[in-house]
Amino acid sequence: MARFHNKKKAFVKPVVKKQSVDHVTGDKIPKSFVFSRGKLPSSLRHLEMDLRKLMLPYTALKLKEKKRNNLKDFLNVAGPMGVTHFLILSKTETAPYLRVARTPQGPTLTFKIHEYSLAVDVAQSQLRPRCPPELFKSSPLIVLSGFGTGDQHLKLTTIMFQNIFPSIDINTVKLSSCQRIVLLNYNKETKLIDFRHYSIRLQPVGVSRRIRKFVQNHQTPDLRNLQDVSDFITKAGYGSESEADDEAATVNLSSDIGRVNKASTKSAVKLQEIGPRMTLQLIKVEEGLCTGGVIFNEYGKFIFHLGCSLMSYYKPHGLFNGALFLFCFFRKSHLDRLMALSL
Amino acid sequence: MDTAIHLPEKIEGIKKRKSRRSKDRKERKRVKIFSGTGGKVKIDKKMKKLFRKRAREYNSDDDDDEANPEVGEANTRPLEEFSVGNSSEEEGIDGSDPDAVEEKGDSEDEGDRTQPGITKFTEGCRAFRVAFMKITKTNVSDNSLGPVLSAQKRLIAKKLAEEEAEWKSKGDAKKEKHLVGEKGHVKPANFLDSREKFLISVATKGVVKLFNAVNKAQNAQKGLNPSRFKDAKALGKRQKEAFFSELRKPSQAVDPPAKGDDGPAWAPLRDSYMLTSSKLKDWDKMPETTVGNDMDGIPLDSSSDSSSDDD
Repeated sequence: MARFHNKKKAFVKPVVKKQSVDHVTGDKIPKSFVFSRGKLPSSLRHLEMDLRKLMLPYTALKLKEKKRNNLKDFLNVAGPMGVTHFLILSKTETAPYLRVARTPQGPTLTFKIHEYSLAVDVAQSQLRPRCPPELFKSSPLIVLSGFGTGDQHLKLTTIMFQNIFPSIDINTVKLSSCQRIVLLNYNKETKLIDFRHYSIRLQPVGVSRRIRKFVQNHQTPDLRNLQDVSDFITKAGYGSESEADDEAATVNLSSDIGRVNKASTKSAVKLQEIGPRMTLQLIKVEEGLCTGGVIFNEYGKFIFHLGCSLMSYYKPHGLFNGALFLFCFFRKSHLDRLMALSL
Repeated sequence: MDTAIHLPEKIEGIKKRKSRRSKDRKERKRVKIFSGTGGKVKIDKKMKKLFRKRAREYNSDDDDDEANPEVGEANTRPLEEFSVGNSSEEEGIDGSDPDAVEEKGDSEDEGDRTQPGITKFTEGCRAFRVAFMKITKTNVSDNSLGPVLSAQKRLIAKKLAEEEAEWKSKGDAKKEKHLVGEKGHVKPANFLDSREKFLISVATKGVVKLFNAVNKAQNAQKGLNPSRFKDAKALGKRQKEAFFSELRKPSQAVDPPAKGDDGPAWAPLRDSYMLTSSKLKDWDKMPETTVGNDMDGIPLDSSSDSSSDDD
């Protein structure tokens, strides 16, 4: 019997109770808010939820937004809570849009979402979907590929996305805690960015399929037709086609991960898709938080105007950053110019 | 004698009626109180007769002959009324005949005496009856669309069609709204097409690289105890070397999509990666400073100096 109603509490009820500074690297841990502007149809609301789960654990999973909240309200709350990034979803008649912004005054990247699939859709399309809840206990790794040569806006994109996720220190990181990976792949011809979210799984290599399944599933095998246990163990079963071609995907583990992957044995890395799938196109880059001068406009003139204020928000991140630049090329001259401005 | 006999009856009757009427009067009084209007005071029929009688007596010059028949009439009238009163109680149509007779009788008497505002009891009774009968005879039809004619069916059909059209347009509007909301939402295919496979392979390569690097770095430091200061320094050095050597290796194994760039493909390998100031460009040629366990991102090796000129 609720006699006293909770009136007018703060509209934000965050779940995040983590430290704000990473103890290992000494950097500030970036935190994010994912919310929407305007009324969204139900599938986009699911997408918002999926994005929140993706950003776990450093995000507010149950962020409550009211219709009357403006950007200013979010900004006011973000300051004391140490929130560094906003991911804003909105919808117009043409398409849904995703804006990635750095608080408090950072630049805003506007992406147009050409296509998206929800996590439930992806799970339905798979034969054996896998999503244990421990996946979301640690931050994902991020892989950026194809962003290539020195277009300013692309560089900005890479830097922005690297900084959204906390950096990892390879000397102390536990491989068992790297369980998710976010991939952003840029396609030069179509100028579209593919956004994928995978879960990482390690499987011991060199073990026959039967034994591996037996150990993993703890199900007693059917030995009716066999004469001897040795028949079961030594029977040459055919390997699945995917096992043959991942010589490149095998890893020597430094420590034991789980029960089956032992140290200093080869294990294969297997990725399975979870989470939302999006096809994004970078439309606009603005200097301020959804305001300010337009630095890049897909449909307008290209204005390569770099204010000092802009670049100072990109402190060079630690070397042992969790982000891996695969096939990412920075022109030295551009880089010098960038860095000079940040002084 | 007659009068004597009749009088008590009359009195009784009057008393009866009075008691009954008094109730009505009280009710009417109550009604009057509530409504608060100064309406016309309804005078009891009996009282009317009494008033008339008194008026006659007062006005008349009093011939006995005149008086008697008048008295007689006066007496007969209450009799008639009494009977009429009874008949009206019974709601009888039986009273119609005596009514008619009395009417004539009354009209003769009352011809010279007009008393406005007081309707005859008998006339009032009849009028009410007639009106009531008229009302109960008429019969309102249930059909709001009109009388049941041949066009009735067409009317109904038209109305139904209208309503259906309305619902349909609403349903269409809803469907359209829903479609607009779902724009861009795509269900993924059941199988992995080539694009997805390519993306998975890219991600896998990244993960493998990282894991191998971590492996190397963490294996190298197995022997050393990080709490010892001396070891800690050596630890730091070894980590950096191992890390960079590891990362430099697989860059060739994986073929980068065609970029016309010289120098190491991987950004952190380049000499100028995150070089905050050009002063520090050749830091390792500067006088030696202690390298602590500081992971601040100052690039190390001089071996990559040669490849510093790209672009």
